[in-house]
Amino acid sequence: MSKNGQEHLVLTGVVVSFNGFQAVDGLTLKVSKGELRCIIGPNGAGKTTALDTICGKTGLTAGSITFMGKRIDNLEEHQIARAGIGRKFQVPSVFRDLTVHENLEVARSKRSGVLANAFCFERDSEREELEKLAEFIGLQECLEIPAGHLSHGQTQWLEMALLVAQDPELILMDEPTAGMTVQETHKTAELFIRLKEKHTLIVVEHDMGFVKEIGDVISVMHQGKLLAEGTVEQIAEHPEVRSVYLGTGGIGSA
Amino acid sequence: MKRGTAIQLGTYGIVCLAFLLVPSFVDDAFILNKYARYLVLGILAVALSLSWGYTGILNLGQAMSFGLGSYCMAMVLKLRTVPVHTGKAGLPDFMVWNNVDTLPWFWEPFHSMAFGLFAGIAVPVALAALLGWFVFRGRVTGVYVAIITLATLVVVNLMIIDQQRFTGGFNGITDLAQLEIFGLTFDAYGSSSYYLIAAALTFCLFFALAVTKSKAGLVLQAIRDNENRVRYFGYDVAFFKIFAFSVSAGIAGIAGMLYTIVMEFASPTFLGVQLSLSVVIWCAVGGRQSLLGAALGAIIVTGMQGALSESETFLKTWTLIMGFIFVVVVLFLPKGLAGVVEGLSNRVFGHGDSSKPEPNIVPDSLGAKSEAESLR
Ligand SMILES: Nc1ncnc2c1ncn2[C@@H]1O[C@H](COP(=O)(O)OP(=O)(O)OP(=O)(O)O)[C@@H](O)[C@H]1O
Ligand SMILES: [Mg+2]
Repeated sequence: MSKNGQEHLVLTGVVVSFNGFQAVDGLTLKVSKGELRCIIGPNGAGKTTALDTICGKTGLTAGSITFMGKRIDNLEEHQIARAGIGRKFQVPSVFRDLTVHENLEVARSKRSGVLANAFCFERDSEREELEKLAEFIGLQECLEIPAGHLSHGQTQWLEMALLVAQDPELILMDEPTAGMTVQETHKTAELFIRLKEKHTLIVVEHDMGFVKEIGDVISVMHQGKLLAEGTVEQIAEHPEVRSVYLGTGGIGSA
Repeated sequence: MKRGTAIQLGTYGIVCLAFLLVPSFVDDAFILNKYARYLVLGILAVALSLSWGYTGILNLGQAMSFGLGSYCMAMVLKLRTVPVHTGKAGLPDFMVWNNVDTLPWFWEPFHSMAFGLFAGIAVPVALAALLGWFVFRGRVTGVYVAIITLATLVVVNLMIIDQQRFTGGFNGITDLAQLEIFGLTFDAYGSSSYYLIAAALTFCLFFALAVTKSKAGLVLQAIRDNENRVRYFGYDVAFFKIFAFSVSAGIAGIAGMLYTIVMEFASPTFLGVQLSLSVVIWCAVGGRQSLLGAALGAIIVTGMQGALSESETFLKTWTLIMGFIFVVVVLFLPKGLAGVVEGLSNRVFGHGDSSKPEPNIVPDSLGAKSEAESLR
């Protein structure tokens, strides 16, 4: 299963309990380097919560998470980010008062210390780099506009560009195509395939067309547990997955 | 350099130059002293603008740093009065009255001018860093930060009043020598003190501007905007906040030292709740997200306060008038006077948003949960 033969991210028996309710219930997941893993599952399956545990937003009740061979479940959010994990949230979260350009500059965080950044100003070469990135996501005209003025679609693009600027080893994406048009979704797929060359990605998605376009291995979550794992075809055939998705039109047509 | 930055630097430069030229036109020592006082309070407002306006830390205890700076300066200048305002063994007079017979250990180093100047900055910075360490590592935010800083201010204020034997209590430290460094004497009513203060204001403004224009300053603004998101980029939010909080305390400490020079005493009111809350008002009026705006806000408000309270007609109503102006500004000018000026200059020079394509404002159809909800 692992393409490069290297286990990049490993979740072992992860349990997250909110006042007794097990949002994630013994999840074990292995993602190898350079993989683009899709996670699907019905609403409330615990997909977002699973990503939250990886990036340190939510603490574990039980289990462990290792990234590149090191335990990360006891680290603080910024330490996990420095270890090389970036996250896009389900709900748009950019810096609304800052301009698009400033957003990108904050995201470029290879140097993250306070004193390293005090009296450090943007160089021309760095600015050009960000301009190119903005061009790629179609926001080159909006560089000096506060991010709060962008449309929903543009905000989604900005969020993805933030991750490109951050350039983490592992990227966690929560429903990147939500609210996008068909063309936009297609362009997002292109971006992901490009990102896949240098990064490992975990993408939570509802849009099966999109998943088919980008996914290698798909993990299906249901009620906090891993229900199935495999290629698109294998998943579509899977009897339990079919029963979970029954009434929602089946996985193939979702 | 971006055009906006160039215009900003120019504006700051012109205003500071104007301040430095004032003594060429004013030769009344009393008025010059009054102006110097306003400028010092302008420095204090710059300090709050850095923490509140840029980082979103509403520090209601800003006067604590100011007062500590002021006491450090007063301690140095008091020991310089030996043997005039002292008793046996060179003790400050108020200690003699309080039956203290040896100089307390923490007064000893203030025999050195260099130490006093250092302490006036280092003590507020150290205290802010310590307080910030607990508050920001503990992820205390919003109104709780305001309450904690205000409470700390009150505690320090009460301690100073309570330790009358060593601090002069309610009376503060009075009858000071004049500051003398490098052979220059800074008379509170002379132009030298005014120049010193105008130069300090210039320095603090440009220093704070450099901080806000740096990458660290940008991260601070990102923290103000969406603190939680910043963490996931790998920045240690607590340390950035401690940094802003401490730099702000250092600037307030400088202002405090200068205030002792122009007032010729240090008093517990310099660490008073009233002064601390006034700083918030100055920043709100001038525009807390503009360092220069905050400084001018302080100068304008305190200047008006001075003028109104001295005039016969408004003797009884001036507090009411000031309150009214404050309410109007807060209700109608959320960015303060700086916001008004910015809006006007954008119209006149045509830079800013008008030259850009109209942002494409589409109602958020999906995922339209509120920002606050997004990262709780
Ligand atoms: N902070 C919380 N406190 C209590 N319950 C929570 C909390 N966060 C999530 N839950 C619950 O945990 C379950 C899993 O939520 P999660 O957001 O992970 O689902 P999801 O798979 O991402 O769903 P969706 O497809 O709707 O985004 C849900 O039932 C949710 O109500
Ligand atoms: Mg979700």
